[in-house]
Amino acid sequence: MTAEYKIIGQNIPKIGLEKRLRGQPIFSADLELDNPLILRVLRSTHSHADIQRIDYENALRIRGVVGVFTAEDIPGKNLTGIINKDQPLLATGKVRSVGEPVALVAAETQAAAESALKAIEVTYETLPAVFHTAEAMAPGATKIHEKGNLLFSRKIKKGDVDKAFKQCAAIVEKTYQTTYIEHSYLEPDAGAGYVDHDGTLVIFASTQNPHYDHKELVGLLGLEDKQVRIIQAATGGGFGSKLDMNVQGFVGLALYHLKRPVRMVYSREEAYQATAKRHPLEMALKTGADRQGRLLAMSATITCDTGAYASYGIAVTSRAAVHATGPYEIETVAVESRCVYTNNPFCGAMRGFGTPQIALAHESQMDLLALELGLDPLEIRRINALKPGSQTGTGQELTASVGIGKCLDEIRPYFEQAKAEWQLEPIGPYKKRGVGIGCMWYGIGNTGVQNPSTARITMDRDGNVTLFTGCADIGQGSTTVLAQIVAEVLGLTPDSIRLFVADTKCTTNAGATSASRQTYISGNAVKGAAEQLADVLLTEAVNKLNAPKTSLQLDSGFVRVLDNPDKKIEFSWLARRIREKGLPLTWNGFFDPDTVPLDPETGQGVPYATYAFACQLAMLSVDTLTGEVKVEKIVAAHDVGKAIHPENVKGQICGGVAMGMGFALMEAFVPGQTLSFKDYLIPTCADMPEVVPIIV
Amino acid sequence: MISINFTINGEKKQLDIPAGMTALELIRDRLELKGTKEGCGIGECGACTIMVDGRAVNACLMFAAQLDGREISTVESLDQAGQLHPIQEAFAKQHAVQCGFCTPGLLMSTRALLTEKSNPDRSEIVKAISGNLCRCTGYHSIIAAIEDAAKPQPKEGK
Repeated sequence: MTAEYKIIGQNIPKIGLEKRLRGQPIFSADLELDNPLILRVLRSTHSHADIQRIDYENALRIRGVVGVFTAEDIPGKNLTGIINKDQPLLATGKVRSVGEPVALVAAETQAAAESALKAIEVTYETLPAVFHTAEAMAPGATKIHEKGNLLFSRKIKKGDVDKAFKQCAAIVEKTYQTTYIEHSYLEPDAGAGYVDHDGTLVIFASTQNPHYDHKELVGLLGLEDKQVRIIQAATGGGFGSKLDMNVQGFVGLALYHLKRPVRMVYSREEAYQATAKRHPLEMALKTGADRQGRLLAMSATITCDTGAYASYGIAVTSRAAVHATGPYEIETVAVESRCVYTNNPFCGAMRGFGTPQIALAHESQMDLLALELGLDPLEIRRINALKPGSQTGTGQELTASVGIGKCLDEIRPYFEQAKAEWQLEPIGPYKKRGVGIGCMWYGIGNTGVQNPSTARITMDRDGNVTLFTGCADIGQGSTTVLAQIVAEVLGLTPDSIRLFVADTKCTTNAGATSASRQTYISGNAVKGAAEQLADVLLTEAVNKLNAPKTSLQLDSGFVRVLDNPDKKIEFSWLARRIREKGLPLTWNGFFDPDTVPLDPETGQGVPYATYAFACQLAMLSVDTLTGEVKVEKIVAAHDVGKAIHPENVKGQICGGVAMGMGFALMEAFVPGQTLSFKDYLIPTCADMPEVVPIIV
Repeated sequence: MISINFTINGEKKQLDIPAGMTALELIRDRLELKGTKEGCGIGECGACTIMVDGRAVNACLMFAAQLDGREISTVESLDQAGQLHPIQEAFAKQHAVQCGFCTPGLLMSTRALLTEKSNPDRSEIVKAISGNLCRCTGYHSIIAAIEDAAKPQPKEGK
C-alpha cells in the first residue's frame, strides 16, 4: 500500500446508512416468522439457594403452553462462558443470584407464557449468601462455586517497590470504589429462530460475537457445527453485554425440542435483571514520586466483584492490573488484582474491561501527587508519560505509536486557557468552576492471549469482489471500515464490495467485537486477504500488459500501467484467465497480534501488540449550596493510530464521553432496586456539554 | 373490541382493536410498521416516538383507541418516493447514526419540532429531543444534524 490513501481516512457514508435512516434494519424483535412461539424465562427470586424441586405440571396444563424446560432438558453440556465455563443456561441444583434462569417456557401467546411462569412452583432451600468481596474471601465463607470464591488473580511485579518507596519525596495512598453500571444499549436483548429444511437450527441474535454463540450452542445442545447457524440481526448497541449469550441459548433449546419458529424479546426490566453489569472495583493504590514528580513506585490491590458468574471477569481483573500504572513509566510496580465471586448480579465486559474503573484511581493519584509536590497536573503527567522506548509495568518495551505525549500537548492550550481565564469568570453566588484533566491508555485486543481474526475474499468471473467477515457490526461501523480497507487495497470503491457479515454459515471467525480489536485485528485479516488477491491480479496482468509487476497498479476495476494508465486490463478478464488455469478465486486472511503471555507470578510479558491513548479536559461548575455538578465542556484528545473513518472515531469519542460522564456523575445500578430506565438515568442530550473531539 | 378510524402515513384505516392495545402494538404488530422501536415500554427512552396530529408522542404510552380520528406519522412516512427526507439527509451528513435503534424516534421528534418551528435555536432542539435516549453518539452529531436540517433548504432538487 502506498503512503497516500484514497479511501482510508475518508468519511464515506456508513454502509447500510440509508436503511438505518428509514428504520429498515431488521433487529431481532422485528423478525417476521411463521406463527412463532413466545419464549419466557422463570428467574430465581433467591440470591443463593438449593433447588429442591421444580414442579411445572400445572404450567403445562395452561392452554397455549407448548413446553417447559429445565436443566434436565439440555442435551449437551449445561455450562457457558467465554473464558471459563461456570454459568448454566438453566440452573442446575442451585441458584447463585437473583434473576438466574431456572426454567424456560414456550407458549403460543405472551399471555400464556406469563401465566405459565406464575404456575411453575420452585421449592428452594436458602443458603447463606455473600454480597461483599471481603465476606466472600473470609475464612469459612459459604462457597458459591465448588472451587471456592476466588476466581482468579493477576500479579504484576517489576523491581523492588518497598525500596523505591523509601526514596520518594511524596507518597499518596488511597482507596477507590466504583459502582455497578448497566450498559443500557437502546435495543433490549432479543433473538428468534427457526429450523431450516435440512434440520439446521437457524438463530438470529443481537450479538457481538456470532461465532462464539455458535460454539456455545453446539456445546449446549450436543450438536455438530453444521447443525447450528447464528446470524447476527441488526444489533442496537452492545458495549460488552452482548458478548455474553443473552437469549441465544434459550432460542436454541426451544428450537431443538419443539422444531417450531420461536422468538424471545426481553423487556427493559428483564434486560436489566438478566444481563451482565460493569464490575464494581475496589482499588487501593500507593503511588510515590521524587521531588521533580518522576514516578518511582506504584503498588495496587484491586478487587473485582464478578457476582455469581465469571463472564469476562478474568479479563477485567487482568486488564485492570495491567493498566493500573496509567499511561506512565514507573520504575517499580507491584499489583495484585483479584476476581471474586459473590451472590450479586454477574458482571462482565463493559466498554474498557476495568480500564475506566482503574483510570479513576490512577488519575486521582496523579492529581494528589501534583498537589503534594506543588506541580501542575498536566506537567506531572507529561514528565511521566510513556514514549517510544518506555517500558510498561509488564516489562514491555514500547517501540511505536505511543501518542499520550501528543494527547497531553493537544490538551495543554485548552487547559492553560481554562485555568487562566474561564475558571476565574464570575458566575454568580455559590457557583464555582473547576478544571481537570485525565489520561488513559488501552491495550488493543485480548490480554496476553491469542485472539486471531480471519476473513475471506472472493472474486467472481465478472471481477466482482466479495468480502466474508464474521465481524459483528453493532453500530460502531466496522463493516464500513473493513470495506474501506478492501477497497483501498484493490483500488475499488467501498460500495462496490459485496459483503457477507456475521453469519456463521458463510463467514469465518473474526472473534469478538470488543476490546477495540476489530479495526486493528479483523482489519489486518481483511487486508491480508485483499493483498493476496491484489498480488494474483498483478501477477496475471504482467504478461497481458507486458510490464513488470512493480509498474502496475489496481484502479477502478482495472490493472493499469502506472506511467501509462490507458494501458490496462479489466479484473473480469484476469478473473476468467485465472479460473481457466484452474486456480481458486478465494483468498483467506489471518491476523493475530504478537503478544507474550503474562508470567503468572510476575505478570511480565507483552499483553498487547499496540495501545490507544487519550487525554481529556473537563470544565465544570459546582453549585456549592446544592452540590449540583454541571459539566460545561469536554476536550478529548485521542491517539487511535490511523483513523480509517475519522467521523466514526469522533462518534466513538463523543459516545464514550457521554458514557464516561454517566459513569462519573449520574449512573449507579443498585442490585434489587434498579429496575429500568425510570430509576437508572443515562445522560440525555440536555445533560451533555460541548464536546471537542481531537484525533492526534 | 372497539372500532377506530385514523390516517397513518397518509393512508386511511378503519380497524377493530382490543381496548387495551397500545398505539405501539398497533403500529408494530398489527400494521407491521417495524421502524418504530420499543426500548423500554414506559415512556422513558423515546425509541417509539411517532407524530400524532403534528406532535411527537411516545407510542408506548398511548392507547391505540386514542388514535381515533387522528393523523399519525411514523418513520416510514419520511420516505419521499425513494428519496431521503431532508432531516434524514442531515442525519446522514452529520454521521448522526450509529446502531440506528434510536434513530426513527429521533427523526420523528425532529420532524415534530420542525413542523412547529422551522428555525429552532439550540436550546429548543435540546428540549425537543431530551426525551430521546441515545447510548451510542453522545448526541453531539445528532444536534448538529438537527441544526443542519433547520437551516433553510434550497428548494430546487438535490
